[in-house]
Amino acid sequence: MKLALASSPASVESAPKQPAIQVSNLSIVFDSNRGQTIAVDRVSFDVAPGEFVCIAGPSGCGKSTLLNTIAGLEVPFEGDILVEGSRVYSPRPDVGMVFQQPHLFPWKSVRRNIAHGPRMLGKSRTEANAIADDLIAMVGLKRFADAYPNTLSGGMQQRVAIARALANQPRVLLMDEPFGALDAQTRAVMQDNLLELRDRIKATIVFVTHDIDEAIVLADRVLIMSAGPGRILREVAVKLPRPRSSYVMVEPTYLSLKKDCLDVIRAEGLRAFNQSDAS
Amino acid sequence: MQDGTSARQEIALRTGGRGRRPDSARLRRLNILVGALSLPLFVGLWELVSRSGAVNMVLFPPPTVVAAAVLEWIRSGQFLGDLLASLFRVTTGFIVGGVLGILLGILTGQFPVMSSLLSPLFHILRPIPPIAFVPIVILWFGLSEAGKLFLVVWGVFFTVWLSTHIGVQKVDRGLIRAALMLGTPRRQMLQEIVLLGALPYIVVGLRTAVSISFYTLVAAELAGTFAGIVYRIEIAQQNLQTGQVMGGLAALGLVSFIADRLFSALAERTVWWR
Repeated sequence: MKLALASSPASVESAPKQPAIQVSNLSIVFDSNRGQTIAVDRVSFDVAPGEFVCIAGPSGCGKSTLLNTIAGLEVPFEGDILVEGSRVYSPRPDVGMVFQQPHLFPWKSVRRNIAHGPRMLGKSRTEANAIADDLIAMVGLKRFADAYPNTLSGGMQQRVAIARALANQPRVLLMDEPFGALDAQTRAVMQDNLLELRDRIKATIVFVTHDIDEAIVLADRVLIMSAGPGRILREVAVKLPRPRSSYVMVEPTYLSLKKDCLDVIRAEGLRAFNQSDAS
Repeated sequence: MQDGTSARQEIALRTGGRGRRPDSARLRRLNILVGALSLPLFVGLWELVSRSGAVNMVLFPPPTVVAAAVLEWIRSGQFLGDLLASLFRVTTGFIVGGVLGILLGILTGQFPVMSSLLSPLFHILRPIPPIAFVPIVILWFGLSEAGKLFLVVWGVFFTVWLSTHIGVQKVDRGLIRAALMLGTPRRQMLQEIVLLGALPYIVVGLRTAVSISFYTLVAAELAGTFAGIVYRIEIAQQNLQTGQVMGGLAALGLVSFIADRLFSALAERTVWWR
């Protein structure tokens, strides 16, 4: 313990400003039947440790592809991705992911779904279950610890998926429109839950959404993407106070931020529309 | 409900005093009654038609004659021997064919190279009805048990192979991605995700194979043997013991029905998360 305490400030000093995620000049190309499609075109951005970044953009703008590539599930065409300073080749346990669909293992109870990650990393069943039980309490599903996923509502399933992604204590948590399939009420509750959860875990979060409100409510910084090919149009810093809840939506600062974002999206939408009209 | 009526009264008022429940209950009771009468009615009609003189009673014996033949079959001790011989063929054939089908289904479902190698062959062999193999099976195996086993295994294998293959291929890619993100090593993916993901398909394939194993049993026992339910049916036919023939058919149907029910009860437990 002492050793760890003595060494940790030193390591912080040696790399005082190393970003948690560095994406540089990243392009992702897909082979399709009409030849090659550029999904993401020379995108660069950094995410600071502990920062909450939202990537917002229309569907088909490559934001999910971008996230999958950071996760190591897809291979970049060119460019680099560094997470915690090392290059991403394949999925790694210090990067957690929550998908749009919960993708829970249907044959495992809530507890065993969450314990799966720690088990795979070599923890004993007792240890893994203890981790799972802590997380179950954190996402408020104590009564459902032994339930199977098909008996849970969509929102509850997604809470399990979040708990499961956190069980390996990832340094980076990637979230791909996790609330996109939920109804508006559940979605607002889930956003507040996530904001609360975020204050307790220390992970860096990259959250993809097509909902500009969701992006502003959650993020420290919003990256607005354009479609076809995916590029980052604008970065908007969200300087709203924390702890935060979805109630920030009624504040004047929020509205002016939203106006900034909408202006960018609108201009881009018009440009894309005129382009398609001309061609 | 300001006027103080209860919900039930309210519903009664709205439906003009006739709630819909009594009607549907009466209908359900009627259905159960008709269902209970179905078999006795059929058997009674059969008895009447057989004894009416309109048909040849030797070729179309009434249920009472069939029952007497079955009782005689059981009393002589032949029934037990026939039943055990048939069950042994079906069970061993089902197990061998099922295990082979599952193993090769996993292989071709999981590894594209194996699929390229084996699937074309299997798809050509699969549609050939197992009964068509009887002549060549007699040439190859004579009248031995190995030939009977071969036929049942053949019938079971392709069904189980195909459903396992499809099941493995249809495993939700999202589950595999989620498992990868949680640090599941690729070499453990088969046991952790793929097998369980394919299990519902495998179970359906196995259940279909239960009936198929009985179909192929018929072919196997017609190919020449010395005991078995179908063998008994054939012998009885040659002796014009039509009652015994029909009794044999009923026994085969009953055994097959029980096997299917037992398997479906087992299957429900196998896919425990449903």
